[in-house]
This record gives sequence, structure tokens and C-alpha cells, in this order.
Amino acid sequence: MICKKWVLASALILAGMCVLPLGLGIYPQHVLIVSLFYVMMASSWNLLAGYTGQVSFGHAAMAGIGAYASGILAAKAGIHPWIGVCVGAVLAALIGLGLGALCLKMGGIYLSLTTLAFSQILHIIIVNEYDVTRGTMGLQVPALMADYSKLGYYYIMLAAAVLILVILYWMIHSNLGLNFRAVQNDELAARSVGVKVLQVRMLAFTVASAMAGFAGGLYGHYLLLITPEIPSLDLQFYVLAMTVIGGMGSFIGPIVGAFALNILAEKIRDYGEYHVLVFGLVALVVARFAPNGLLGVWRKFRSSTAHPLA
Amino acid sequence: MALLEGRKICKSFGGVQALHNVDFDVAPGTIVGLIGPNGAGKTTLFNAVAGAFKPTSGQVVFDGSDITGLPANVICRRGMARTFQVTRPFAAMTCLENVMVAAINRYPEKPRSFIEGLALEKLALVGLADMERFEARHLNVVQKKRLEMARALATGPKLLMLDEVLGGLNTQEINQAVAFIRRLRDELGLTVLWIEHVMGAIMPAAERVIVLDQGQVLMVGPPNEVVKDARVIQAYLGE
Repeated sequence: MICKKWVLASALILAGMCVLPLGLGIYPQHVLIVSLFYVMMASSWNLLAGYTGQVSFGHAAMAGIGAYASGILAAKAGIHPWIGVCVGAVLAALIGLGLGALCLKMGGIYLSLTTLAFSQILHIIIVNEYDVTRGTMGLQVPALMADYSKLGYYYIMLAAAVLILVILYWMIHSNLGLNFRAVQNDELAARSVGVKVLQVRMLAFTVASAMAGFAGGLYGHYLLLITPEIPSLDLQFYVLAMTVIGGMGSFIGPIVGAFALNILAEKIRDYGEYHVLVFGLVALVVARFAPNGLLGVWRKFRSSTAHPLA
Repeated sequence: MALLEGRKICKSFGGVQALHNVDFDVAPGTIVGLIGPNGAGKTTLFNAVAGAFKPTSGQVVFDGSDITGLPANVICRRGMARTFQVTRPFAAMTCLENVMVAAINRYPEKPRSFIEGLALEKLALVGLADMERFEARHLNVVQKKRLEMARALATGPKLLMLDEVLGGLNTQEINQAVAFIRRLRDELGLTVLWIEHVMGAIMPAAERVIVLDQGQVLMVGPPNEVVKDARVIQAYLGE
């Protein structure tokens, strides 16, 4: 059931997002573009971790696969970036399917460690295959459009993020979403009432990976220089922190978390390496006092004022 | 022909033989009790039959076809539903959503309105009509057992397998639950295989009783014969 109030609110926010960058300078526009990349990453990771309980540490690696696949195709074979981005998304989906299959019989920490290992292997390959990836020097790639403009990229990223959010929203609110959550809550019980648990888990892995690959591809063509920073654990934990702090297992949580943390990161950039410490503190405080994230705090506040018994 | 038939079912965990050549059958439209002292293998038999794990050897025949070793979700769709001894609700989902999960997998092509209607109907049937919006983790044990029953019923089963649904209930609640289970058989035509420790409840309700002891079938018979059998008394009370 879609509430009219929410449709209206989403439309207003979207309209706001459309006019927001017009009055801003280059730097705030850049921050917004990067935030939109993180919205896609955190929301799709949330499908895996928040809705089916598969806490994968290989999500940034999927973004890396998308970015490098598209980047290499464009830089070495001259293939148009848009085709490359689609190829990257498909490749990430296939590798996600494989990784998901590998982890099917695993849960909890074992799945996390396996995906962590995958992520590290990919990182090492990218750093060392200098001829193909240019290693830590970074791979220069062409832009998505003929004349590079921040505003153009902003609207591309906004459209991509909206597309991904619409797909996620539809999935979560369809029968699939119920099956996802049933699997997360109790696999054995889910199976006993007819849920195809393996199929559900694989689907979540494939879709989330495709989305990460897509987002990574776009991001790479925005940065114009792809480095092993994209498929890194730093980025992975950044996405994790955004999702957890925003509110895992809710639709809006990761969106809020992505904007909040990325903007916070820019604000505290002056403190250099200490900004990692601030993140750690924020994550710690949220985990201790608001385990359901910022959205959980909001809901609690709402229900305590509106429905004292609900 | 029997609705459910077990032929020489064995299950061992490492060196422990939990089930040994268990033969049994459940006739359609009957309520069959499965009793036995703690550790007799009752829940293990449920798990082997319903697909939670494969039997080491032996055969399970359900509704005319061999279902041995099939995954639980496939067996569920064939018409076998179960509850768990230690309840396993989808804790962070509402009662309504819990039952809807069962219904969408039974009727994947039906619209949401039909699914919600079906789920509400099952919740009302087990007496949780006013709890639909509560998350399952807030329920007490008795309510969780009812929720599992509603969830099992929403899968549209022919055979309902109940694992100690009366544990923790008081006398009045037990009477209500027994009347409810009989109604499921009489009015909905369900077949019931029922593990129970509350003898005073299962003996008058069941037409037949299977007694398990140390992984083997000790005896099968009508309740009034089973309670008088010297072997059964010995299994429960010792020498």
C-alpha cells in the first residue's frame, strides 16, 4: 500500500533535488554527485544485508568490477562509455551470482569472511595487473558526454539513483520483499512455508551486484581516473557505515545515511586522517544508542508522540 | 491408501542412531498422535519427513509420490505443513506478514488483496485477529504457537504436522486448542500428525497413536490400548 502522503513527499524531494544544484558552486555539486553514488551503493547493499541478512563485504568490489570493466573497454577498446557501463553491470551481476552461489550454504560471519577474501583478491589483482589496470597509478577513462559538466553528471547520477531506488522499492514491496525478509528472519522456517530460500538469496546477490556494478561504472566515468580505491575495503566499510547509521533494513535509511555521512566527511576533511576516527565514534554511538539507525530514532520519536501504545 | 507413509526411515548423526527403521503410516482424515519419552526421536522424524534434513536411508511417501530428500519448500508446496517445537516466527515481521509469506508462496499469482484477506482469515481462525499489526517478537509463547499454526494453515496443507503445540498452556487453553485441532479435521478435512506430551489432551483427540522409543517404533494402536500396554508404560516410567 503506497500512502498518498509519501508519494507527494517523494515528488517534492525529487523536484527539490532537480533544482538544488542550480544555485550551487562546482564543489557542492561534486559533493552531491558523490553522495548520489553512495546512495546507490548503500541502498543496494541494504538489499543484501538489511533484507536478506547476507552481510557481504564484496559490494565495493562489485562497484570496482563495473568501473574497471567499463573503463578498460573505453580506454583500451574505444567502446562507448554507456555501453561499457551496461557491460560492467552485467559482468558484476554474473560475478555476484557466482559469489552468491559460493556463499549459499554460509551465513553470518562465514559469508562475510568469504566475500571479504574475494574483495581482497580482486584488489590485489587490480593493483598488480599494471598493464591492464595501470595499478595504483589509476586508469584514465573518457567522460560520459562530449562536453564535461558537473551539472550534466549530477542529473545523470540523480536519474540513475532514482532508477535504482524505484527498482528497489518495487522489489521490497512486492512478494519478493516478503520472501527476502522471511529468509533474513529464519531460513528454516521460511523453507518450511514454501520459500525458495536458495533462489531468493541468489537473486538478492545478483541484483545488488548489478546495481553496484552500474553505480561503479558511472562513478568511474565521472572521476575520469579509476583507482583501486573503488574496490577497496575503505569504500566497503564506508557504505556499511552509511547503511547502519542511516538504518539497515529500511528503505529510506541508507539514503539518509549516504547523504549524512558523505557530507559529514567533507565537513571534517580538514582533520585529515582523524576523520576516520570521527566516523568510528559516530558508528559507535549509533550502534550503542540507536541500533536501528537515524531512521529508527525518527520512528521512535514519531510513535512516542503520535501513538503512545503502537 | 495412506496419505503419509514412512518406510524403514533411518537417521544417524555421526555415531548416534536417532531413528532406526521407522515404519508408519497416516490415513487421510485422521488425527494421529506421535508420542514417546524425551529423546525418542519424534522431532527428528518430523524433520526427516518434512525435509529439514535427508533421512540417512529409507523412504517417505506423501500423497502417492516419493518425497524422500526433497527440500522443505518443495514438500511444503505438495501439501505438508508443520509447526516447530521451539517456535520459529519471523520475529521482526508483523503477524500479518508472517502469514502472508506462507500465502504468497502458495498462491504466487494472486493479488495482494487476496493474500491479505487469506492471511487475516487464518489469523482470525487461530484467535489472533486483533494482533495483525504487532511484530511477532512481541507475542508470548502461546501466541507464537498460534501464529505458527496460522502460518502453516496458510500454506494450504493436506497434512498438518504439529510439534508440541500444547506446551505451556493451562487446562482451559488446552481444551480450546484440542477442540480447535478437531475442528480443523472435521470442518477443513485436514489430516493431523501430532507430537504431544500432554497425554490427557492427545489421547481423547487421536484415533491412532504411534509410540516411539529410542528411535524405533514401540507400538501403534488406538489410544486406549496404547495407554495400557506394558511396554509403553515401561518406556515412560522405567522398570
